[in-house]
Amino acid sequence: MKINVDYDRCEGHGLCAEQAPHLFSLDDDGELTYHLEGQSVPEEQATKARAAIGSCPVAALRELT
Amino acid sequence: MSSPESIVVVGESLAGTTAARELRARGFTGRITLIGNDADGAYARPPLSKEALRPGAGDTSTISVDGLDVEVDRSGAVGLDTTARLVRTAARAEVSYDRLIIATGASARRLAQRGQSGELVLRTRGDASHLADRLDTASRVIVVGAGFLGMEVASACAARGLEVVVVDVEPPLTRVLGPFLADRLAGLAASSGVRFITASGPVGLVGDPVRGVCWNGQDVLRADLVVTCAGDIPCTDWLAGTGLADGTGVGIDDRCATTVPDVFAAGDVSYLRSLGRRTPYWSNAIAQGKLAAASALGQAGDCATDDYFWTEVCGVPIKVMGPLGLEAAPDSVDGSLEGYDALLTWERSAGRTVVAFGRKLPVGRLRTMAQGESVSG
Repeated sequence: MKINVDYDRCEGHGLCAEQAPHLFSLDDDGELTYHLEGQSVPEEQATKARAAIGSCPVAALRELT
Repeated sequence: MSSPESIVVVGESLAGTTAARELRARGFTGRITLIGNDADGAYARPPLSKEALRPGAGDTSTISVDGLDVEVDRSGAVGLDTTARLVRTAARAEVSYDRLIIATGASARRLAQRGQSGELVLRTRGDASHLADRLDTASRVIVVGAGFLGMEVASACAARGLEVVVVDVEPPLTRVLGPFLADRLAGLAASSGVRFITASGPVGLVGDPVRGVCWNGQDVLRADLVVTCAGDIPCTDWLAGTGLADGTGVGIDDRCATTVPDVFAAGDVSYLRSLGRRTPYWSNAIAQGKLAAASALGQAGDCATDDYFWTEVCGVPIKVMGPLGLEAAPDSVDGSLEGYDALLTWERSAGRTVVAFGRKLPVGRLRTMAQGESVSG
């Protein structure tokens, strides 16, 4: 799976970073970084990745199949 | 207090799934049963009144509890025996618990008479996709209720180029946001084509199927669709006879504990007894879901309320961090209100409130600003 992050839509709530800290992080200003931009999510991280996608309150994360 | 072996969470909601996740995060290895009643499972509700109403929007993402070793029953809870410590579900006879977390949320308040068809509401994902479909062919829409939900639905209608009228007995958003912010947001909505009508009495629905609204027995407005956005009602029917729920909801203390030992509650179904009213906001569902989980394990948790919420009016996001009741003008304005790019600060005895008015600002930074030392003293 791959994840598409809509940075324009992201409001920096940070729930994705709580669900999947290896994939998402917020910097000191609360700006989101997605660590696998353009890459595939390793299979063992897929469950956490989907939890992160579902947790987003502004629907800024999307799973690409 | 012996440590629990079985914890039941009733309500596959944001509060309920957050509680289940937090139980595991805090090291609970016993049995967790999550009882929901929506075939769609759990999902984030905020996008339902925004992204999900755009033309051609697909379903929003599901909040998954995969990988948490949680047993899920989506038949719904129908009864509770707090003496025998059993939850009855529609599918299975009984689920026993050592600790219970109630997170059944709320359902949309409706105005239709018994048997009157065609009233639209917006609470579930099913409601959102149904409403989006109906908006595809509508030309004139009445929204009953000028709170956050009503304004978001009206915004979606205006963005689709539909004629939209918002009816309420109070001016839009004023009760929660105060006149300074509310007036500006109402102005923004009006300039985007949203009409407001203040009803002089309680609003009723007209027609079967519903095709309009009335108040004081007259003043009928007609439309293709009527969407009721008149608040929500806590889902407590299944608690009948337990004494856990009253007319307000399920009362909790500052640890999310109810009046019944080993029973906790979180989210929209609950209210803080010290406050006397519900505060059904997204951020509280998360804070209380986490706290209820901590308390169920006999551990200390964080605060039961989180003074944060956001809304979106006609494309302008508004984030509010800090206590509400903003009657006066802000103490400081950084940026441009007219350009919908400003940071507003109120300094009051209740604390500091910071509002990002159309300005894109990460929530963490807003939180830091609201918690920072007061500059004006």
